[in-house]
Amino acid sequence: MDAKDTMTLEIFRYHPETDSEPRFQPYEVPYNEDWVVLDAINWIKDHVDGSLTHRWSCRMGVCGSCGMMVNGEPKLTCAAFLKDYYPFGIKVEPLVNFAVERDLVVDMDGFMDKLQEVKPYIIRDDVNDTSEGEYRQSPAQLAQYKQYSMCINCMLCYAACPVAGHEDEFLGPAALALGHRYNKDSRDQGQAERLDVMLAGEAIWGCTFVGECTVVCPKHVDPAGAIQQAKAMAAQEFFKGFVMPKGTGA
Amino acid sequence: MSGQYHRSHKWAWFFERPGYVRFMVREFTGFFVGGYLVVLLVTLSKLAGGGEAAFAEWLASVSGPWWLVAHLVALVASVWHTVTWFAVVPQAMPIYLGENRLPAPVAAIVMGYGPWLTVTAVILWWVLR
Repeated sequence: MDAKDTMTLEIFRYHPETDSEPRFQPYEVPYNEDWVVLDAINWIKDHVDGSLTHRWSCRMGVCGSCGMMVNGEPKLTCAAFLKDYYPFGIKVEPLVNFAVERDLVVDMDGFMDKLQEVKPYIIRDDVNDTSEGEYRQSPAQLAQYKQYSMCINCMLCYAACPVAGHEDEFLGPAALALGHRYNKDSRDQGQAERLDVMLAGEAIWGCTFVGECTVVCPKHVDPAGAIQQAKAMAAQEFFKGFVMPKGTGA
Repeated sequence: MSGQYHRSHKWAWFFERPGYVRFMVREFTGFFVGGYLVVLLVTLSKLAGGGEAAFAEWLASVSGPWWLVAHLVALVASVWHTVTWFAVVPQAMPIYLGENRLPAPVAAIVMGYGPWLTVTAVILWWVLR
């Protein structure tokens, strides 16, 4: 491979203080076989244009900060290798279905609000004293939710979901998968509280099982599966409500 | 917040990803399943209440070449709908054996293809006996 090889990155640029519309700006970057798209964007920021704005942190698919549209596909840019696109150009945009703050940075507030709504933490009616030790869990109980606990909040699933882009009431794949993760946790007692939120309006019922959230998830969380299971759980609770009086703990 | 840029949504969003197209095709095949069910219900009602002459007349009216084509299209659409649905059922209804989740293809056979083939075999046996 010629060391002087280059690739062209077309990057979405939008500065709210000067631009009324976004534009795409091409940059020539050195082609290195072991570079990922994030390396190329960082190289542009360090050597060509310091005003380019993007989010990133860990560079190893853990922090979930560097999600962007790479040639129209939601990707963690730290895991999208240049060699998979070479010698063709790469178009980089901010995640779709989100408002753009600046260049490649999107507004996460709506997502964070939805995440908080599903109470993604263990809720207990009775809290044991620490001297009583931890709440024990078997490997079989762990298996029920472990897959859904791998979510890194990268929001790629929201960019792949047509419903998230059209229905504001819909809580979206990651938030619902995390809600389901805690509902399936044997240590948790907050299922009723979460289902109240998840059953409201289009919060969960907006999902039509397109399934693309699962396709793009870099951590194999399968939010689409989690949402369908949560729907089934919600329906069971709804029908149980007819036969079980409130407060029986059933 | 002011200054944010909101990208517009295309009305033809279902062409934006191959997965969206597959989803829309799966949904669209539902019309054929529904249409066939209407024909089947009318056929059953003629069989149940209209007498032999009315039933024979109904059968004759749905025996033309266009009806044959319509039934073939409905069959292909129904099979497509069924197969794509069985492919996603294991996501919605996982089966755990202890800490191990049944692999999706096995779960699809247990919850989908197995019962489907069993019911089909029973109906065939009942009709052909």
